[in-house]
Amino acid sequence: MSNDALLVLDRVCKSFGPVQVIDEVTVEVHAGKVSVLLGENGAGKSTLIKMIAGVHSADSGRILMDGKEVQIPDTKASEALGIATIHQELNLVPSMTIAENITLGRVPRRFGIINRREMRRIAREALDQLGLNLDVNTPVGDLGLAQQQLVEIAKALSLDARVLILDEPTAALTNAEIAGLFEVVSQLKTKGVGMVFISHHLDEIAAIGDFVNVLRDGKFIATVPADTPENELVRLMVGRDIDAQFPRQAATPSEQNLLSVENLSVGPLQNISLSVRPGEVVALAGLMGAGRTELIRAIAGADKYTSGTVKVAGKKLPRNDVAAATRAGLGHVPEDRKTQGLVLDASVAENIGYATMASTAKAGLVDRKGQRTRAEKVAARLRIRMGNIDQPIRSLSGGNQQKAVFGRWFSAGAKVLLLDEPTRGVDVGAKVEIYELINEITASGGCVLMASSELPEVLGMSDRVLVMSQGRIAGELATNEATQDSIMALAVSNVHREDEMGKK
Amino acid sequence: MSSVATTPKKGFDFKAFLANNGALVGLVVLCLAMFIATPRFLTGPNLMNIGIQVSTIAVMAFGMTFVIVAAGIDLSVGSIAAISAMTSSYWVTTAGLPDGLSIVVGLAIGGLCGWVTGAMSAYGKLPTFIASLAMLTIVRGLTLVISDGRPIATGDSVSWLGGDLGFMPVPILILIVSGLIAAFVLNRTIIGKNAFAVGGNTEAARLSGIPVKRVLVTVFVISGIFAALSGMILAGRLDSAQPTLASGYELDAIAAVVIGGASLSGGVGRISGTLIGALVLAVIRNGLNLLSVSAFWQQVVIGLVIAIAVGFDVLRRKNVRH
Amino acid sequence: MKNIVRKSTALTLGLALVLGASACGRGEAAAEGGKATLAVSTLNNPFFVDLRDGAQAEATELGIDLSVVDAQNDSASQANQLATAATDGTEGIIINAVDTETAEAGLAPIVSADLPIVAVDRSVGATKVASFVASDNVAGGEQAAKALAESLGGKGKIIILEGVPGASATNERGEGFTKGLKEFGDITAVSSQTANFDRAEALDVVTNLMQSNPDATGVLAMNDEMALGAIQALGAKAGKDVKVVGFDGTEDGFKAVEAGTLVATIAQNPAELGKQSVQILAKAMKDEAVEEVVQVAVDTVNTDNVADYVTK
Repeated sequence: MSNDALLVLDRVCKSFGPVQVIDEVTVEVHAGKVSVLLGENGAGKSTLIKMIAGVHSADSGRILMDGKEVQIPDTKASEALGIATIHQELNLVPSMTIAENITLGRVPRRFGIINRREMRRIAREALDQLGLNLDVNTPVGDLGLAQQQLVEIAKALSLDARVLILDEPTAALTNAEIAGLFEVVSQLKTKGVGMVFISHHLDEIAAIGDFVNVLRDGKFIATVPADTPENELVRLMVGRDIDAQFPRQAATPSEQNLLSVENLSVGPLQNISLSVRPGEVVALAGLMGAGRTELIRAIAGADKYTSGTVKVAGKKLPRNDVAAATRAGLGHVPEDRKTQGLVLDASVAENIGYATMASTAKAGLVDRKGQRTRAEKVAARLRIRMGNIDQPIRSLSGGNQQKAVFGRWFSAGAKVLLLDEPTRGVDVGAKVEIYELINEITASGGCVLMASSELPEVLGMSDRVLVMSQGRIAGELATNEATQDSIMALAVSNVHREDEMGKK
Repeated sequence: MSSVATTPKKGFDFKAFLANNGALVGLVVLCLAMFIATPRFLTGPNLMNIGIQVSTIAVMAFGMTFVIVAAGIDLSVGSIAAISAMTSSYWVTTAGLPDGLSIVVGLAIGGLCGWVTGAMSAYGKLPTFIASLAMLTIVRGLTLVISDGRPIATGDSVSWLGGDLGFMPVPILILIVSGLIAAFVLNRTIIGKNAFAVGGNTEAARLSGIPVKRVLVTVFVISGIFAALSGMILAGRLDSAQPTLASGYELDAIAAVVIGGASLSGGVGRISGTLIGALVLAVIRNGLNLLSVSAFWQQVVIGLVIAIAVGFDVLRRKNVRH
Repeated sequence: MKNIVRKSTALTLGLALVLGASACGRGEAAAEGGKATLAVSTLNNPFFVDLRDGAQAEATELGIDLSVVDAQNDSASQANQLATAATDGTEGIIINAVDTETAEAGLAPIVSADLPIVAVDRSVGATKVASFVASDNVAGGEQAAKALAESLGGKGKIIILEGVPGASATNERGEGFTKGLKEFGDITAVSSQTANFDRAEALDVVTNLMQSNPDATGVLAMNDEMALGAIQALGAKAGKDVKVVGFDGTEDGFKAVEAGTLVATIAQNPAELGKQSVQILAKAMKDEAVEEVVQVAVDTVNTDNVADYVTK
């Protein structure tokens, strides 16, 4: 690569205690180009980003900006150099307006009083750069996630950012929103902004990137053009070949239903009926806000529902009672493992053991030995990679954390798994392992209901697809007959009908 | 004792030991400093005094540990200590009911007050800070109503709690026994483990089938019972239940728990740490008295020690977790 | 929605009931002697409870409708209570200020309503009052110091227990202690520490101080509560090897004097303070002339005269 790089990390190293997290990695960011950072969770991507953002400093190696060596001791210094980072967790104050957020920390003043007009002008200008047509007086909390992200990018631009780091910006976006984001990225390219892009979605790399830097276990593996075939990228990233991204092995479902939901209604959900047979994986597809998560949570007992029944193996479950659902053999892997699935400060063993703690206790005393043995067994079976079963689960990678949530229900002997975005934020290698767990459940006579926004996953891992739209089940497709288009057609079908009905 | 055990390593890892026992190291340093400043510090009788003096705050803080582990806060413990001491004394001295039951009555009142706080926050959805703040005032008010603002002499049982067994002062005995019980309940029983789960992540605990509301009520009941015990020890030492007894102690109890390494955001805490935290406070007070430091400066010093102890803890956590 | 209405109705009703019930305590009969308010710093302390009782008894005697408000040692709530009193038909105020410094601002509405003010026990800064009724803390401190010194035969090492740092009583009694001890050159105060007027705290502080000063033979406490805590700490030594003197003349203090564990206490007679301030206010409300400063007798209570006080 030429010498016109905006930002260069030159053979940087970083270790935390005895663990070498980054080992002589070199990455270049060029004006008007998108460098993709690719690697499994734990490969060192986020540490690398934190070095650029001034959160961590490198143990050795140099950081060059415009060819000159610079020090980035803190986030202020990084900002001063024109580097902006858009983290997965957005740095916005939901209760404040777009204008206030964009000018946060540098509020324009006149005679010591906030100059609201100037504030709005700055915000307006920043949004215009991205071609965003939003009212700058809207509280940020009222915006969708995608729009919030764009506001944050606008904020970075108004700070004259020349290097923009996007840390998994697409993880929580719908396809339409991703398309919008990519359009903005292309515009920024023409304006000469250099970008670093992180994503687990291989298909996005070709669409948006210019070249790809692959990391594995903290080491720099290769820089390749963005149009490198996916299989090759996976091989570089994982260090071995992965046979199939979606290894679904269909089981022969038996006749009577294991899980059945009849006429369930609550809030936006209207008269949902569905059934899942032993050995079956049923996917719930649909747009964001279609009610997939709400349905999964209602079935799991996490939320109340106003009418309808949920039966497991013919037995009716009480409403809003997770403990009863657990006893009946239901297991719920929630949408966000960090806020809903795990106690991050607790150990791997404890996280695996929560669902069995009460049922195995004697006279109120925790069966410590038994809990530990069970956790160790499950961890080995699920191939959870960790130093030790007593280590805080916080220190595990996303994929291994997710496997621990699965492990909790394996350990509890759950027969019906309710999965909500089971592979969100999980890297390719661990994804496949999670899919194998799904196969294991169905092979042993259990069943799975899986809500997913990723259509390749829906098509690759299910036997049937239920498409939801606006709180209803818009249609059912056999997976082998379904395509991305036919699913999307159903996902939006109801929306149009409702619109028309509204007009009449 | 910890919920988060350390990785076993070859030999003695001083750094890891320091990281996991910051408060203990602080206590040892503090004791050494006090010993150098005044040799009287390290005499048998003085150490016995510290043991007695630490007992009230420590017992109260044991209960508080449960609430803080479950990500709550209990501001009502000082008031609960007072009302339990007052009712158990009223029971014997004023009402003339059997002395044998007085301690049980005091503990029951403490548990009841804790139950009300817990129910207010679990079922009434009040933040624990607000629910317990309300109870702080309500319970203190009720104590004044019962006592008409005057001290009541304690009955024999409660006085025994503040007394001596010849070889061993009763407060120290209670301190040891209640500490062991608290540690056992926190680490070995469903109640304790549930408190860790709820405090670590309420939503994750709920989705795993843990009865979050019941856990919240239970930890407040436990806190109330320990506060009651602590109040009766204090009254026993004075042979008198004061209406103002233990006012402001809630802050010392919280400080002890936090110095002991618990996190106010929940999910982390241990009884041994809490005991060390309470000892740090008691040693400072004792030492400052021995050194005859002026009242004005004592407050400054105690505040600084709390800030340093907790600040140090925050730092080491950051390092451990990178 | 319905639920919310029902809940808030229940809440409002409950609140009304509680308020109604507490209002009943006041007595509603119209009084011929006029309406007055006693703003007391705290009823958390037996001393002020006695003061209130003395004031209330005298008010009933004089036919004055006296309402008592308790600031719970919070200057801000006292200011609010005074502002309310200024508008609720009260014709005169007796104030026992939470804090000398902040009382001035709190009393501003009373001054502008031109109501007569009697300050009791604590002064109220620069505010013009009809009268200031108090027992002389400095004189009392002096008497206490003398009582201890005499019981020690004029020599020895003593420990002083201070009150809440910065409080006027602490400063004035401390001043009296110093004055009183000046006459006894052979008495040295080896340590002076605070126990915040609190019995439990004094128990710990004295236990600690006896460690560092095992040869101390006297404890001079700025109130009875601390003196009683000291006695508890001294155990069998109290009254024999170590003499203790308190201040305030509380019921428990008198009992300790009778038992011989407390050498003496300074009886401030809070009931008398309350009684006299009501008498003075009654005069002021009729626009009669009153003395600017009323000194209420302070007595040294020891084994010789304690019987008189206990029967009272």
